Amino acid sequence: MAEQGYVWEQLLMAANAGDARAYGRFLQAVTPVLRGIVRAKGGSLGDAGCEDVLQEVLFAIHLKRHTWEASSPVRPWLYAITRYKVVDAFRARGRKIDVPIEDFADVLAADAGPDPTDAADMEKMIGMLDGRSATIIRKIGLEGVSVAETGAALTMSEGAVRVALHRALKTLAILRERHVK
Amino acid sequence: MKTDDLIRAISADTLRQPHLRTMLVLGMLPSLVIAFLALWLVLGFRADLTTALVTPISLVRIILMGMLGIVATRLALLMARPEGGQLARFWPLAAVAAAAFGLVLWAYVATPEDARQMAAVGKTMTKCLVTIPMLSVLPVATLLYVLRQGATTAPMRAGFVAGLAGSGLAAAIYALHCTEDSPLFYVTWYGLAIMGVTLVSTFLGARVLRW
Repeated sequence: MAEQGYVWEQLLMAANAGDARAYGRFLQAVTPVLRGIVRAKGGSLGDAGCEDVLQEVLFAIHLKRHTWEASSPVRPWLYAITRYKVVDAFRARGRKIDVPIEDFADVLAADAGPDPTDAADMEKMIGMLDGRSATIIRKIGLEGVSVAETGAALTMSEGAVRVALHRALKTLAILRERHVK
Repeated sequence: MKTDDLIRAISADTLRQPHLRTMLVLGMLPSLVIAFLALWLVLGFRADLTTALVTPISLVRIILMGMLGIVATRLALLMARPEGGQLARFWPLAAVAAAAFGLVLWAYVATPEDARQMAAVGKTMTKCLVTIPMLSVLPVATLLYVLRQGATTAPMRAGFVAGLAGSGLAAAIYALHCTEDSPLFYVTWYGLAIMGVTLVSTFLGARVLRW
């Protein structure tokens, strides 16, 4: 476990320096743990509902990743964001829950759970983006096309795709919160 | 969209965000310089500033306010991090408050009885109560902005330290103008101005620092 934590720090540090592959590995590594936490806290939402909350947490991690101090451990940072967003998400869905941070240690040891079902909200939200942003999200996310290839397909520069992607993700995060509330 | 797809989209977004500390320094330096220039150009420094800066009784006030500002600014930077609410220790603020209280006690004993009231009321309390909050506006706004770019999980407490930090630094700048050197005066009136600003900032924080 300690070794795994060490790896998380390395990955996030590389990610914050602009390494997309390390960032992807970091998110892949933390997602099962976060999914375990969300399911343990909000089982009543059902698997799809939990997956939506999990995705909100991932958005929050993404938009706030610069607040992690490279000299400090990732876990307290990660759990603080998760706790804040999980409480927020459940409150927005009209459920009150109490998420004591000490509980997280127990959840972590638990199995991460089966493969996720499709999150229900996401497709609707992407539909609310402007056409080009939606295309970029779909290409990079669903089809796994690289930023460079997406740029070539849309006759945009790589830099422009990056900026558009960043804005689209930000907008998606806001749309989702508004949609639930 | 499956979570794996979302992760793929998110991880492709490697646009780098500025570091919080960088943002704080880049924001606070101009804010403080503007507050400093405003004081200098509008009210001017005290005539005996060069002497005051080497006179302990005059200097201690600037140091006290500056310490409050620096300690609280560091706390604000910590509170901008999600786990900062758990890491933040507030005893340095209590230490500054204790020092202020100690100065008041010392001044109370050292000031002759019939002069105490005059020392406490002073001649410039209105100017002090107006100027310190005005000088605080920019630093406090800057700190709240930086906190908004961060990810505080304790919005009210973050607003509280931002208020203390901004108004403490503003009071240190105002102290370059003000000639009332008695702790009976400045702990009372600077303190009141700082408390007012901090109260507003605390409630602002609770509203604007949620994300």
